[in-house]
Amino acid sequence: MAKAVETQNLEMAKSARRVPQEEWYLPGHRTCQGCGPALTYKLVSKATGGDSIFLGPTGCMYVANTSYLCSPWAYPWMHTQITNAGAVASGIEAAYQVLIRKGKYKGKLPNIVCMAGDGGSIDIGLQAMSGMMYRGHDALFIMYDNESYANTGIQTSPATPYGANTTFTPPGKAIPEGKVLFPKDACQLVIGGHPAVHYVATASLAYPVDLINKVRKALNYKGPTFVHIHSPCPKGWLFDAKKTVEVAKLAIETGMWVNYEWENGEYTYQHTPKEYKPVAGYMKGQQRFAHLTDAHIAKMQAFIDAKLKAPGIPVALPVQGPRES
Amino acid sequence: MAKEMFLAGCSSAAYGAMLSRVEVISSYPIRPYTGIMMELSKLVANGELDAEFVHGEGEHAQVSIAYGASAAGARAYTGSSGVGVTYAMECYSPAAGGRLPCQMAIADRALDPPGDFGSEHTDVMSARDQGWIMGWAADPQEVLDNTIMYFKIGEDARVLLPQFCCQDGYFVSHIPGKVSIPDQKAVDEYLPPFNNPHPLDPTKPVSHGPQIFPDQGPAIDLQRAQAFIDTPKVIEEAVADFNKQFGRNYDPFLEEYMTDDAEFVFFLQGGHARTARFAVNHLREKGVKAGMVRLRFMRPFPTEAVAESLSKFKAVGTIETSTSYGGAMKGGNLIHEVRSALYDVPNPPPVTSFMAGLGGEVVSLEEFYSMAKVLTQAAKDGKVDQYVYWVNFDKV
Repeated sequence: MAKAVETQNLEMAKSARRVPQEEWYLPGHRTCQGCGPALTYKLVSKATGGDSIFLGPTGCMYVANTSYLCSPWAYPWMHTQITNAGAVASGIEAAYQVLIRKGKYKGKLPNIVCMAGDGGSIDIGLQAMSGMMYRGHDALFIMYDNESYANTGIQTSPATPYGANTTFTPPGKAIPEGKVLFPKDACQLVIGGHPAVHYVATASLAYPVDLINKVRKALNYKGPTFVHIHSPCPKGWLFDAKKTVEVAKLAIETGMWVNYEWENGEYTYQHTPKEYKPVAGYMKGQQRFAHLTDAHIAKMQAFIDAKLKAPGIPVALPVQGPRES
Repeated sequence: MAKEMFLAGCSSAAYGAMLSRVEVISSYPIRPYTGIMMELSKLVANGELDAEFVHGEGEHAQVSIAYGASAAGARAYTGSSGVGVTYAMECYSPAAGGRLPCQMAIADRALDPPGDFGSEHTDVMSARDQGWIMGWAADPQEVLDNTIMYFKIGEDARVLLPQFCCQDGYFVSHIPGKVSIPDQKAVDEYLPPFNNPHPLDPTKPVSHGPQIFPDQGPAIDLQRAQAFIDTPKVIEEAVADFNKQFGRNYDPFLEEYMTDDAEFVFFLQGGHARTARFAVNHLREKGVKAGMVRLRFMRPFPTEAVAESLSKFKAVGTIETSTSYGGAMKGGNLIHEVRSALYDVPNPPPVTSFMAGLGGEVVSLEEFYSMAKVLTQAAKDGKVDQYVYWVNFDKV
């Protein structure tokens, strides 16, 4: 007789005081001073607890965390290639489904969490992530977004903002802006094309209780879920390492980052300021934007303004026939 | 009781997987191996096999799903052909290095360009040094038997390595033959459930695949190499047990055909052995003392068995069925391994190679006869004139 697969039900944390004291992501790793992704990892781990399996595709949170024989995780963790976190997670989830069904594993379905950087999520890792979401595996895909390939020395990724100076988009006479492209919208990629996904959220390390609860809510959903977490990187964005949380907050205050949830088609927004500050204030605090002119900053402001008019909400545009002028 | 069916290699592999009670299957279509997954998907849909059937979004994902499932403690099965095999290349080393004994069925196929459906061993031969056990079956019966045997070998605690279970595309995968399908109970007695010693299990946390420092590399590589050094003994035991349990008669590493008094032998792997046996019979009728030695495992390469076997003959010709462009012997891959195995043998026989069976071309009887001429001369002269002969193009 096949056994029913039981899933976990994680409680929401009502305040920072109710967040568990236990750490599942322990000291001893080699991340940089002020590392945003490391703080994200700590908060996500507090959210999931120990009945979890984490997958770490290649990236900062693989290389800087895992020194052989002293890895910092108190739950099972496995490296995946930067390409295939979604596929390996699919295999693990499928294995647990069959092992629980056959009575070979006695517990509830573990929380299966991919902790992928922006490259491992929406660039080289996109195919595997999309496959996992399409097939409906009960796993959470987290994109900790430090807006570059930071591990290899800060190269541009599809999450790198317009105008950023990276080691693959250096500003020069011919290309004064540095990066000329605008980033992909990760959440819209997931929402727009994956009917098996019912919960998507953005979060910021500057709002830890909100972040923890979004991770828990995502895990409580059956099926694939996605949480996109803004994780500033002092080394890559070139700001003082003590200002990581400040930079993350300023991103929300300027509209460079918007915290929202998408649940079964409905959007709700969190931490929306009464009035947005100009993006220039955010950009001037980071040396990666130091080369930009006022015209470039105005271009960024226009991009953000357009995005904020309908953050996350699909805009209904009039359909134009091919022969109409 | 075992029952007999008339099956092509693809269906035979699927039945082997079902009898092995695979728990997670990952698929992606590419000819000719697709037939394996078509058969398995039916068995799962009909409830004859309780497994998770996962549609990978490509071969890279297929192998990733399989080794992920293996890491979680499930018996995992996947497969591919041709460019699908090479597309997944990144994932072979993580599976082997993680010591995750999933199985990948290969029905081999020529690589592009040009587009070609035919059998050629180059696809998976390109992955022969990624740390997977690998070998070819010669007929559908051996496909089924190898499928079960490879799980037994790969999952052995002394081994813990993934396996490429190979068959020639079309020649074996699509030509039916009589297959004796063993009883499930007998297979269960032979093949115990997979027991991953270090699964990803929250009750016993472990970290898989952390970064190392350079000085830690050699020791870890040595462990993988040691697993391959230990594997031949496990193969011998697994094949002996299989023969006993199911009434077969496999030699662990080599099939020898008409070798007792042979002057020269064709040395090959896979389904072309069936033509080679005919060719040997016909040559014998004409008084030519030909024989055949068929390799059953490419990895681990059975160096001692090959040296012992081939040193009995006056000449050896490898039939390559795969390419090694710019290699030491200017043609294929088998000859490198064979010559290395014979290097320390006193007065080794001359060894040459024949490029044949590429792009799915049949290695015909006529081609065997012309190869026999070269080998007869080599046996007489005690030397070979060329490292490699391109059959039908060279002076063969």
